[in-house]
Amino acid sequence: MRFLEFGKRNLKETYRDPMSLGFLLGFPLVFMLLMGLAFGGETIPEYDIGVLDQDQSQVSQAFVSEMLDRTFEVEPYDDPDQALDDLKAGDIRAYITIPQGFGEQVARNWQGESEDISLDITYDASDISVAARVLAIVDGLTRGFARIEVPVTLNTSPLHLEAKITYIDFIAPGIIVFGLLILIPASARMMVRDKERGFLARLLTTPTRPADFISGYSLCLFVVAIVQIIIFMVVARLFGMDIVGNSGWAFLTFVFTGLCCIGIGMIIASLTKSENQAEPLAWLIAVPLAMISGAWFSIELMPSWLGSFTHAFPFSHAIDASRSILNRGAGLEAVTTDFLFLIIWTVGLFAAGIILFRRSMSS
Amino acid sequence: MSRLNSDPLAIQTFALTREFNGLVAVNAIDLGIKKGELFSLLGPNGAGKTTAINMLCCLLKPTSGTASIMGHDIIKEPFKVKELIAVSPQETVLSERLNSWENLSLIGKFHGIGPVELRKRSEELLERVGLLERAKDSVAKFSVGMKRRLNLIMALVHDPDVLFLDEPTLGLDPQSRRAMWEYIEGLKGKKTILLTTHYMDEADFLSDRIGIMDGGKIVALGTSDELKNSVSDRAAMIISADNLSAEIIAGLRTPGRYAEVDEVSGQLRVSGKDVDFREIVDYLHSQGVVVRSAAWEQPTLEEVFLLITGKELRE
Repeated sequence: MRFLEFGKRNLKETYRDPMSLGFLLGFPLVFMLLMGLAFGGETIPEYDIGVLDQDQSQVSQAFVSEMLDRTFEVEPYDDPDQALDDLKAGDIRAYITIPQGFGEQVARNWQGESEDISLDITYDASDISVAARVLAIVDGLTRGFARIEVPVTLNTSPLHLEAKITYIDFIAPGIIVFGLLILIPASARMMVRDKERGFLARLLTTPTRPADFISGYSLCLFVVAIVQIIIFMVVARLFGMDIVGNSGWAFLTFVFTGLCCIGIGMIIASLTKSENQAEPLAWLIAVPLAMISGAWFSIELMPSWLGSFTHAFPFSHAIDASRSILNRGAGLEAVTTDFLFLIIWTVGLFAAGIILFRRSMSS
Repeated sequence: MSRLNSDPLAIQTFALTREFNGLVAVNAIDLGIKKGELFSLLGPNGAGKTTAINMLCCLLKPTSGTASIMGHDIIKEPFKVKELIAVSPQETVLSERLNSWENLSLIGKFHGIGPVELRKRSEELLERVGLLERAKDSVAKFSVGMKRRLNLIMALVHDPDVLFLDEPTLGLDPQSRRAMWEYIEGLKGKKTILLTTHYMDEADFLSDRIGIMDGGKIVALGTSDELKNSVSDRAAMIISADNLSAEIIAGLRTPGRYAEVDEVSGQLRVSGKDVDFREIVDYLHSQGVVVRSAAWEQPTLEEVFLLITGKELRE
């Protein structure tokens, strides 16, 4: 089992190298830390929010003046159509409809009875980072106002979210995919380094087949990817990411993402002769892929042509699928297309990587 | 040596040729290296040495011709050939984050050696090159000399029949170089060794035979002495004498008699194919010159090399 020996050697080379470890784990973790601290819910920006108070009770008026008005720039509305028009025009980020009975629901909570509280929120879904923050803030304010522990039921439009989405919920799957994209330069560097330093040539003078090397590299990088995914998911959870859906499916999404990245790294290592060539090329591919795949901001913000272009690649599908599963509790049937995309890309990239790397070894 | 068959040649090439985009790097080489022989391949940069060795190690396919290692064809039986050979490359090729045990173990396992034998052989080799005490240290902490020694023994861990040593002492200090020579000399007769080097003294000291390559061909072949004798007009007699005068020296310069007659710092240097010691001494005596000492100076291997290839070494 030469490939196992080679895989073990590659793993030792990786975990004994502080630079490699920092690169593979530290970099995305710092990124997540910064994002978590920056957008974790401590700072409250001044958003323009519309309020339609259909309850018109003393309690609802107090909620607007004491809570919402102190947090947002509140614009009162009587007509839902007008609020919708203003939302479309970008004058407000969202509008909250306080339904009839809100005051009574809150009052009962004040009296010690436990009752769910509902609010309707309509917001601009294309700006999900803002929307997620508004939802989180409104949830927090309402719970504080009603003195309840359970999350407030937010009837949201147009996404009809069942749970609150914080910015960390939104950003964490993107950062995990970004962390896995770092496998592209890492794997390209690992393979091309052995080629450049003559290590592969030396081992090729032993009774070994190219397949042993390819499997040895893949095995090592696969283990690295699994460790990365576990650490990133745990850290994201510690930062407050809610896992609504099946984390196993999300894990599988990330595994396929990692395999795609290893395939790309293998292709780069095959086409280049030195670390100096491979690394800039790998970053040139990984960073734009992270940006256009919606790792840091929503694809809906991009021009439609770029959005379509982005969907041709596997990573936007990975992010969409993992967000759907983790944030909204989507089942496998809801992300079938994304999964198929990922599997096809994984197989294609690996096949191309193996063919090219074998060719580069024989030359 | 147990694997040696009745064929007296360990390495044999048959019009071995390799072209790169029309450029002939190795041009129809026919060469036979005997079992247990230490054969050095010399040549200027671009002479085709590395290409030839890469073909013999099955890293590169010949454009035409072939070669056999211990009777196994490099094209038809590359796996068999790879079981019998080992290469110690010019660059120190080690896994830097691994220790010596781990480096040896990787190569050994690639050759299919069992753990008990691997441990025994590794220990033996590490002890022989003085690395046993540091065997658990990361190779990254090693000096250049230590790395070169490990680089060499990695090629010996599976007890190969044929050993390719590419510049084994490159970058070593004189002490480490001498130690390495002694070690390689100890392998003579036990292994067939094909050595490439740019150090002429190294080839002279270690080799049974030497081949000089240039322009993809073997342009000279023989023992060190044979090669030196092949340029006997470069051999010289060095004479220390009193009362040498310009006229006496001019007498020795009779056209066509000797290749060169020079006086350097009071010493007379006479070179040529037919230098006759007695004739020169008699002549000097007849002219009243007192000869204090006379010594025969062979051309060095480097002189032979430069004379044959006409090129300076550039590596």
